[in-house]
Amino acid sequence: MVTTIEKLKSYLNEIKKNDKKGKKINAFLHLNSHALEEAKRIDAKTKKGKLAGKIIALKSNINCLGMVANCGSKTLEDYESTYDASVISRIKEEDGLIIGMTNMDEFACGWSGETSAFGATNNPRALGFVAGGSSSGSCASVSAGFCDMALGSDTGGSIRVPASHCGVVGVKPSYASVSRYGLIDMSMSLDQIGPIAKSVSESALLFEVITGRDERDAISIGSKINLKEIEKVPANIKVGILDLKINNSRIQNLIDKKIEEAARKYKWKTEKIKLDYIDFAVATYFPIVYVEFFSATRKFDGRRYGKRIEEVCGSEVLRRIIGGSEISKAEHAGRYYYLALKAKKLIEEEFKKAFKKFNCIICPTVPRLPHKIGEKISISEMFQYDALTSPINLSGDCAISIPVGNIEEIPVGIQIICEKFQEQKMFQIARAIEKLGD
Amino acid sequence: MDFLFHKLSEKEKEEIRKQVNTILESFSVKLSKVGGKVEENLIERKEFERREGLQRDSSFSKEIMFKNAPEKNKDFIVAERRKW
Repeated sequence: MVTTIEKLKSYLNEIKKNDKKGKKINAFLHLNSHALEEAKRIDAKTKKGKLAGKIIALKSNINCLGMVANCGSKTLEDYESTYDASVISRIKEEDGLIIGMTNMDEFACGWSGETSAFGATNNPRALGFVAGGSSSGSCASVSAGFCDMALGSDTGGSIRVPASHCGVVGVKPSYASVSRYGLIDMSMSLDQIGPIAKSVSESALLFEVITGRDERDAISIGSKINLKEIEKVPANIKVGILDLKINNSRIQNLIDKKIEEAARKYKWKTEKIKLDYIDFAVATYFPIVYVEFFSATRKFDGRRYGKRIEEVCGSEVLRRIIGGSEISKAEHAGRYYYLALKAKKLIEEEFKKAFKKFNCIICPTVPRLPHKIGEKISISEMFQYDALTSPINLSGDCAISIPVGNIEEIPVGIQIICEKFQEQKMFQIARAIEKLGD
Repeated sequence: MDFLFHKLSEKEKEEIRKQVNTILESFSVKLSKVGGKVEENLIERKEFERREGLQRDSSFSKEIMFKNAPEKNKDFIVAERRKW
């Protein structure tokens, strides 16, 4: 049996070869200097936790005591966490080993992994192309074979988008199922921490550890899953196939083929479904994010943590700060924020209605392929990355992206959406589709 | 538009301000088309009182907190008014 320390050494060796040199993935910002001692301690235990032997990477916006959590920003360049986020306490209790902090779009403001102040993350499955963001390093580290699993945060698709482009599994849990205590927030009414792994069962294992009620995140409730049941193919499933025209028909064809195959094999029923208000998602999502991000960044004034954010940040962070500041002005009352909250509620109700008829809704995770690192791209093209993922953050439901195939050797993900706190069903459906293979 | 991180010049900052106005205007136009009625948000709870989770020992490093602060004086962080 491979020990934690052997596994860790093998991963560290791979990181040494291909993170800053070789393939130059640039997935890690900092490595855990105590990892070898911690691995020895885990191996020496007689009674081990559920995550013993698992090597886990963390997005750089999750606090882990003594580690640098710089959020991919010069603002917090040398910021060392003074405490563990609740998800980290849970991982440590179950003997998971933290290998390091991963690269990300600056303060999670980005879609491609390019806005990090420490360089873009390269896509391990399609070198030269973006890994997707904002949890770029977490998904790339799993995809590149630098760790077993990782944690990311998802506000509008930040776990699922890079998971899709890097060919790994990424989960956006239901809003309130995982504590955000210790997450350096972007938009508290939408943020969720979620797992990234090589398979559905591994992602379910990490989810099972991190979910639960936490007194330090007032909205947290938790979501119960039974890992033994994940392998069971659910019967009598009614799949809603999202009826939405996307520009890349090859992506939609790949998804349609996979659903047909699953429906044939498992005798699932399928039907196309149109959701009202879904095309309002981008215009709803950004005003909320801008306002909440503006509020969240007021603490980065250069007194307690290094530098003043407006002086050192990149273009996307500044765009959101200025946008949030503008929307918050009294003269705009009702014009953006109130309307955005209204649209959010309508989107939530639309999904609720759909889930009365369907067990899940399926669509591509991203309606486009990733662009090349540094390629010039318009803001409206950039908004497309989140077009099919952000509605689920607005509705608060849960969703998973799993690899479904490749186009031009670039991985493509399929998104399975289930009703709030139906993670058990979501993992079962995803596992059933995963079993079909490529 | 190039999304790669780089140090922003004053000219770029000014351009971003103009871009933001255009972006917000497009959101405003789209959102003004939102029809339908929404009811007031209600907090739905099965139980009146919440049973909170178990209190864990939380380790907090005061030493690192001071290390993170740019200006400090023995045991307090310096935060002068109007300096920021």
